[in-house]
Amino acid sequence: MKTQSCVEVKNEWGIVAARQAGRSLSKEIGFGSVDQARITTAISELSRNIYLYAKRGEICLEVVEKPSKIGVKKGLRIIAQDQGPGIPDIRQVMVDGFTTSGGMGAGLPGVKRLMDEFTIDSEAGEGTVIKATKWLR
Amino acid sequence: MKETVQNLEETYKHILKMFLHQKSEHGLYEAQQFSKVLLEHQVSPEELISVHREVLEELFPTIAEEVLDSLDLLLEVMMGYGMAYREHQSLRDRQLELESEIEVAANMQQTLLPKEIPSIGSLDIGVISVPAAKMSGDYYHYIKDDNQSVGVAIADIIGKGVPAALCMSMIKYAMDSLPEQRLQPAALLENLNRVVEQNIDDNMFITMMYGSYDSRTHEFHYSGAGHEPGFFYFAKHDQFEELFAKGIALGVSRDAKFREYSRKIETGDLIVFLSDGVTESRIGDRFIDREEIIGLIRNYMHLSAQEVVESVYYELAKLQDFQLKDDFTLMIIRREV
Amino acid sequence: MNLSIRYENKADVVVLYVAGEIDAYTAPKLREELIPLAEKGNNVKVDLSDVQYIDSTGLGVFIGALKATDANNSRLTLVGMSQRVQRLFTITGLDEVMAIEEEEGSK
Repeated sequence: MKTQSCVEVKNEWGIVAARQAGRSLSKEIGFGSVDQARITTAISELSRNIYLYAKRGEICLEVVEKPSKIGVKKGLRIIAQDQGPGIPDIRQVMVDGFTTSGGMGAGLPGVKRLMDEFTIDSEAGEGTVIKATKWLR
Repeated sequence: MKETVQNLEETYKHILKMFLHQKSEHGLYEAQQFSKVLLEHQVSPEELISVHREVLEELFPTIAEEVLDSLDLLLEVMMGYGMAYREHQSLRDRQLELESEIEVAANMQQTLLPKEIPSIGSLDIGVISVPAAKMSGDYYHYIKDDNQSVGVAIADIIGKGVPAALCMSMIKYAMDSLPEQRLQPAALLENLNRVVEQNIDDNMFITMMYGSYDSRTHEFHYSGAGHEPGFFYFAKHDQFEELFAKGIALGVSRDAKFREYSRKIETGDLIVFLSDGVTESRIGDRFIDREEIIGLIRNYMHLSAQEVVESVYYELAKLQDFQLKDDFTLMIIRREV
Repeated sequence: MNLSIRYENKADVVVLYVAGEIDAYTAPKLREELIPLAEKGNNVKVDLSDVQYIDSTGLGVFIGALKATDANNSRLTLVGMSQRVQRLFTITGLDEVMAIEEEEGSK
């Protein structure tokens, strides 16, 4: 059973709502307080990017599972997507130190370091989809 | 010594408990030393706050809820510091990688530079080349042939690291392997230009001056590719003149053609090749005048060519507090007999 | 070490107004703005009236832009150079392959 809950992001309230949804779900899954904070921060940064650059998009959250040595491992997947301007040079945005919105350490490489898995797809003029997953330890 | 995260947390708890039990400078010192261990193990600030919160809850079961809540807020704020710290680590790793690439390129350059100044009966040659940073973008080379003639080149490669070092090897190869071209500077530059243009990045280029001194006729034939003008000194009239050979920098235009110039060199005359690190020396907030450089050479002209270049370098470096902004190369050739 | 760039879309040319110094630190910023315009096939004019200093890294950016406009059959023009900057283009021989104008007609 796969449930996906989505939050629309088109202003800063959307960012807060997405954070809230992320914190609740991560708590439910059983993440500790530090990982809850990391997941929430990742959602926060991704939503902020949507808000600042695409103007609108959505954050979807789902519980995921994968086989592990002791049965099944649970995790949380964030899917951030928009139909905004897209990223013309993905390599550039995945380099540390590159940030157009100020703030050290933020940016996509920072988000990638908060999570366990990370994929990005973007096409200029079409939009962007970023998926990031964190697994329970 | 590798510690597990759990061990580190236990140690932190211990240090904190001891300190709360009895405040002392020793306790604070222990904490400070321990923070180095935490950093070595890349424990992030937010993890530490979480541990701290747990200890407080453990030690003070009746602690005000607000105090613990305040730590939740603090954790959120420290997330930003944690991210900045991790980015810093990543950038430092990248910097180390870049530095080692430059190290490789600088070593390549060392093997490509001449080991010694050629000895030609009638000439006194001096050279100095000082990099502004780890690796110089300036390159120079000599090639002596059996007729007591010598080809000299000075070049400024615009670009960094290994690609720049590869350009230097192209120049050395062109000079070392094409004997019939040595007396035809224009042809040498044309060949070199074609090779360079096809093999370097669009943003890179090379400025170069190449000349060939014929010991039999005492004529100096030279061509230039966008390089900073040097000087001639004519002893008979005690006059300095600009040494300029018009031509486009290498690597810009595939079919560039170069003009060849010639000058008869008399006894006591000087040929001065330099890079723009010399002419762009700053005095205070203005650039040096070419006349001032001539003045410096005049001051030391009575010494050997090597002593002249070293003295002029020292004066110009001193004016800039020995903090060169650009690579500095100066070569002087004097006809002795 | 400071560089500012603004641009204006005119009838058949994009004009870039550059101010400050173009050196090894600021050249990447200029490259980011100029090269994409050149690669898209626009005619590009760069106004250097407020540029005090260019070093060889800066020249490299213009060479890259020239190659891009040549490849796309469009035109790169530089205007408003100071004497110092003009000298650099003359010595490196770039004045013979680049379109350089004296004055910008209207700002």
